[in-house]
Amino acid sequence: MYLALLASSEGAAGAPMSPFEVNFGLFFWTWIVFGMLFLLLKKYAWPAILSMTEQREETIRRHLGEAEEAHAKAQALLAEQQKLLGESRTQAQAIMAEAKSAAEKERAVAVQKTREEQDQLLARARREIAAEGEKARQELRREAVDLSLAAASKLIGERLSADADKKIVLDYLASLEKSH
Amino acid sequence: MIEGQAPDIGEMVLHHTADAWTIDLYPIGAIHLPRWADVHVGTLTLNLSPTKHVVYLALAALLVFLTMWLAGRSLRRQRAGEQSPKGFAAAIEGMVLFVRDDIAIANIGENGAKFAPFVMSLFFFILYSNLLGLLPWGASPTGNLAVTASLAILTFLTVEIGGMIQLGTRGYLGTIFPHVPGMHGPGAVAFSLFMAPVEILGKLVKPFALAVRLFGNMTAGHFVILSLFGIIFLFGDIQGWNWAIGGLTAVLVVGVMMLELIVAFLQAYVFALLSAVFIGMMQHEH
Repeated sequence: MYLALLASSEGAAGAPMSPFEVNFGLFFWTWIVFGMLFLLLKKYAWPAILSMTEQREETIRRHLGEAEEAHAKAQALLAEQQKLLGESRTQAQAIMAEAKSAAEKERAVAVQKTREEQDQLLARARREIAAEGEKARQELRREAVDLSLAAASKLIGERLSADADKKIVLDYLASLEKSH
Repeated sequence: MIEGQAPDIGEMVLHHTADAWTIDLYPIGAIHLPRWADVHVGTLTLNLSPTKHVVYLALAALLVFLTMWLAGRSLRRQRAGEQSPKGFAAAIEGMVLFVRDDIAIANIGENGAKFAPFVMSLFFFILYSNLLGLLPWGASPTGNLAVTASLAILTFLTVEIGGMIQLGTRGYLGTIFPHVPGMHGPGAVAFSLFMAPVEILGKLVKPFALAVRLFGNMTAGHFVILSLFGIIFLFGDIQGWNWAIGGLTAVLVVGVMMLELIVAFLQAYVFALLSAVFIGMMQHEH
């Protein structure tokens, strides 16, 4: 460095310069020239050359961002759909189970009711049959009395007083019934 | 050159690679650049007179600007006509995009687009400066240590100021006084203080290497070419062999010129790439 400085001062004095000397004046010139070039290129050249690429990069960046956003949105929608689907599935299952149990209950109730009605009908029928039987029996008895009276009156040829005869026959029948 | 006496090849080589106050356009003539008085800034003596390298520096900048401006203009016109870029403009666009995407953004990261104009300007400015040295009468401003040093200082400032903005005062100071994870108390403080000179040296070595690498490569190439030309002057007067020597030298020089063409691109690439890497390292320092 010291030697170079020495050479520089010699160069300034007019002696032939060496390629290894450092002329500090050139720092100033290099900075000025490079600085001007840098500013001019930045203002007039790079934008024109790079505009297309920068636009393309911007577009790609925007598209990527949009795609990512759309993807996230789609994912959220999908998750929501799946949640809804799951919910509706469980709901449907619950409804079906409920319906099944309700139907089961209904059927049981219906069966029960039918059985009760049947029983009632049966009971009534039985009661009616019994009543009819009783009625028939009494009818028969009356008929028998009348018949036997008629037969007896024809047989003895003489009319007994109806009430006294009736009493005799009834007593007879009662005795018959007792002997049975 | 000087006929009749033994030529001093060493002197010739140094003369042609060194900066000068005149632009030698032999045999047309020579342009004598204006000489200004020295300027004293503190203890430093500066001479701001333009030199040959300053002229070529400006020429390189002008050519870079014209290239980029024309390419930009025709790209804009082609795009307005709904055409895909073609020809010269498409080639320039490809190169610019390579520098932007594969040098700047690939190495700096998410802030790459912000630093890309600096890296692109640096790449093309250095490339044109390198290539100017291969033209007849041309000179490589990048074969001048002051030029490469001032460009390296620009990289250094970009790295450090970019780091300060990105990391904040605390984060930036952490790059000078490193904190070792897991170390606490006075031991950590002592270690930080001990490491500070090393860290500062590390920061300064990077631009120094950038400057010396570019300067060395460009100067060395010119040395080789000029030395090969020197063969002609040393052995060219051997009777009967002068054509053979001239032809052989020309072939060698063409070969080295081809190599220099590669080196011109390679060194511009290396300077821009390392600048981007250093900026990126600082941006991601934690």
